Amino acid sequence: MRKLISLVVLLVIVTGIGVSLVVTPFGAEEAEWEPPSRRERVNFGRYYVHEGLEETGATNIVTSVVVGYRGLDTLGEVTVLFIAATGLAAVLHAAAKKPVGSDRKPASLVVFTGCRFLFPLILLFGTYVFVHGHLTPGGGFQGGAVVASAFLLVILGCRGRRLNEETLSLAESLSGLVFVVAGLIGLVVGGAFLLDFLPRGTPYLLFSAGIIPIIYIAIAFKVGSELGAIIDKLSGSPG
Amino acid sequence: MVSPILLIVVPLGLAFAVPLLERISKKLVGYVPVLAMAFNLVLSVVLLRRAVSEPIIVHTGSWQPPFSIHLVAGPLGLLLAALIALIGLGVAVYAMSTIREGATRLYHVLYILLLTGATGIVLTGDLFNLFVFFEILCISSYALVAYRGDRAGIESATKYLIQGAIGSSLALIGIGILYGMFGTLSMADIAQHIHSVAPFGLFMALALLITGFGVEAAIFPLNAWLPDAHSSAPSPISAILSGIAIKVGIYAVARIIFTLYGLETVFLFVAVLGLLTLLIGEMSAFSQNNIKRLLAYSSIGQVGLILFALGIASVTGVTGALFLVVSHGLAKSVLFLSVGVMITRTGSAEISSLDGMGKRMPLSALCFTIGAFSLIGLPPFVGFAAKFTVVRAVFEQTSTLFTVLIGVALLGTVVEAAYFFRIVQRLYFKPPPEGSLDHAGRGQEAPLSALIPIGILTVVIIVAGVYPGLFSSFLEPAATDLLDKAVYIRHVLGG
Amino acid sequence: MTFLYDYVHYAGCFALVLIGLYAVLVKTNLIKVIIGIGLIDTGVNLFLVTTGYIRAGTAPIFSEAAAQGETMVDPVPQALVLTAIVIGVSVLALALSLAIRLYRHYGTLDLRKIKELKW
Repeated sequence: MRKLISLVVLLVIVTGIGVSLVVTPFGAEEAEWEPPSRRERVNFGRYYVHEGLEETGATNIVTSVVVGYRGLDTLGEVTVLFIAATGLAAVLHAAAKKPVGSDRKPASLVVFTGCRFLFPLILLFGTYVFVHGHLTPGGGFQGGAVVASAFLLVILGCRGRRLNEETLSLAESLSGLVFVVAGLIGLVVGGAFLLDFLPRGTPYLLFSAGIIPIIYIAIAFKVGSELGAIIDKLSGSPG
Repeated sequence: MVSPILLIVVPLGLAFAVPLLERISKKLVGYVPVLAMAFNLVLSVVLLRRAVSEPIIVHTGSWQPPFSIHLVAGPLGLLLAALIALIGLGVAVYAMSTIREGATRLYHVLYILLLTGATGIVLTGDLFNLFVFFEILCISSYALVAYRGDRAGIESATKYLIQGAIGSSLALIGIGILYGMFGTLSMADIAQHIHSVAPFGLFMALALLITGFGVEAAIFPLNAWLPDAHSSAPSPISAILSGIAIKVGIYAVARIIFTLYGLETVFLFVAVLGLLTLLIGEMSAFSQNNIKRLLAYSSIGQVGLILFALGIASVTGVTGALFLVVSHGLAKSVLFLSVGVMITRTGSAEISSLDGMGKRMPLSALCFTIGAFSLIGLPPFVGFAAKFTVVRAVFEQTSTLFTVLIGVALLGTVVEAAYFFRIVQRLYFKPPPEGSLDHAGRGQEAPLSALIPIGILTVVIIVAGVYPGLFSSFLEPAATDLLDKAVYIRHVLGG
Repeated sequence: MTFLYDYVHYAGCFALVLIGLYAVLVKTNLIKVIIGIGLIDTGVNLFLVTTGYIRAGTAPIFSEAAAQGETMVDPVPQALVLTAIVIGVSVLALALSLAIRLYRHYGTLDLRKIKELKW
């Protein structure tokens, strides 16, 4: 009975969405660029592509959208990850604990050596990705995820090494505060939250694009430490 | 400098700082939500007076609208923000003394973030930002429902999470369809160009958005998660969920229907849906034995009534709906908080364990009674003014269909009165069980730190009931804010 | 056939969403339901990115080598998807932790057996 109802619901959703897709244009043609005052309808994408480099100074337009134009969304997203890590810790807090690795075979020598060799390299790559977030594809979230995967490698491959929870929690809080404080400084200095108060600099250089690299580095620390804490908790660490 | 964005950013910053503060002093952690909500309350009341004449538009990053994310702090947004801060403050003080086991620091962090998400939803003017803050609200409520870690809590949190996650994904598809058609995410901008596109895609997006946000707002077929979640959560969280979270979900649905779309044909559908929700909620509540489940079903019923009042779509109707939001928020919080102290005292959530509470815990029972009477709509309390406004709105309408519908809605009120009177009778007229009174015939009252917030909220109910002008001077501009699409667009985009 | 070519991208996204929806509605093992939620998230994110495609556009990143006048795809859906992916991961992490606790309480992940709360 439940399967039948589910299939009917699915069929309804399929027809509805399928027919509605006819109205969403796919692969629009790039029209001539006109400045906003003369156009009938606003199109975000074209505005950001054409004006983004001058206004924010970052050559990666997606970064300038994520951190510059829609910075409040990014703050919300960082908060969501924080809630997930905190909620996970709260839910698993009182769970009955089995001793870690009691029924697991320890990693073999090859894996152990490989992990110790790879760990700093992966960290270096992740750092490269998030520091150059405003110049090349990548950024805080991507770099933070790579750093967290290095932590995952440690938990899986290095025999019994665990992450230091206190340090992770400290890093998490401090980087979140850096983001909020950077926005508030913008509010005090210029009257708008997340205002770009550092000089734009010349494009293509590492030290350019105002506060975008600073915020992205803070986000990378936060994401890396949070995902590391989540992985650590889920793999059954005590306490 | 004093800008509505501080209403979101300051609690957020305090929440991030809590793990650092815990190192300094463990006791300090319980005061942080109180501090955050007190700040929010003061700021939103101060800004509300300024915003009644003209909404405050905040641009983040000082980019020009509609290219930036902007907050629209109009009378409606600030009124709801003040309500969130008031109820949040009361429940935070209550939780300082009642949440003792588990990782209390994590509870307080999640609590502040839930309220931040709710405040962000009512203040924002951008569609995707609405979604992000909505997710903040939902995810922290999933975690808080599961906070106690018992079987019922984890099970209801799991069901709530699955339904909520599907709802959010559907809403995101709707947002994607809207972006694909309009090329912009600012609500004022979409509202301005809504008529220039073929209607079928719009209809699909509307259906997806209402379904997605409606899961959190507990509209009729989507509210299967609510009775379990609200009854298995710790009492302060039940108060916040019933009092604030569902209201904010309704605000999101209302903002989409009224400001974004503004179509006449949707209103009747909304009213009928509200009526169905009302009847099902009240009928189910009548047969419950567990007091918290009864209160949860009663919340479903009241949400139905609010939707019905929104469906009337006149200024008086929407004013009535907003008045109901305020009065139900206050009353339901008082009910859940007083029930919480009673359950802690007796250890059982069955209605039969509430016998004779009038003698054992006289103050808590009195606050419960006042909350119940306000919910039903009896005269000296704020619930009466709210329901009266709704009835007046119906009679201002010329359509006979609505007159019939209001009759059905009042039937729901009668059922509500029936089950609440039954409980009040048990509180005062049934003898308390053996051994629960000491020699002088007195019971053990709730601790003072739990009683004070309940008492303050009860006093607000009485004061607002006796002097409804306290709220109604803000409710009328708020209603116009919601209804009047052209004014909203003009304020945001500058004519 | 050309009609289908235009919409094959959208069809793919929605096939993912529907497979995920089917898994959530019909399957009784909690882990499969959680995987279904993940599939729905992936499908929706793919749909969002696809709406931003501009014909013959490249990634919206300027480099010293390329000329300034190249057509680029819409960067906004990519920013939205960045946020949506993180939100989806958070929901999945929380769901998995709830599944762990549920297993400790009930000893099974079969949703038909986890029905302690009645009507």
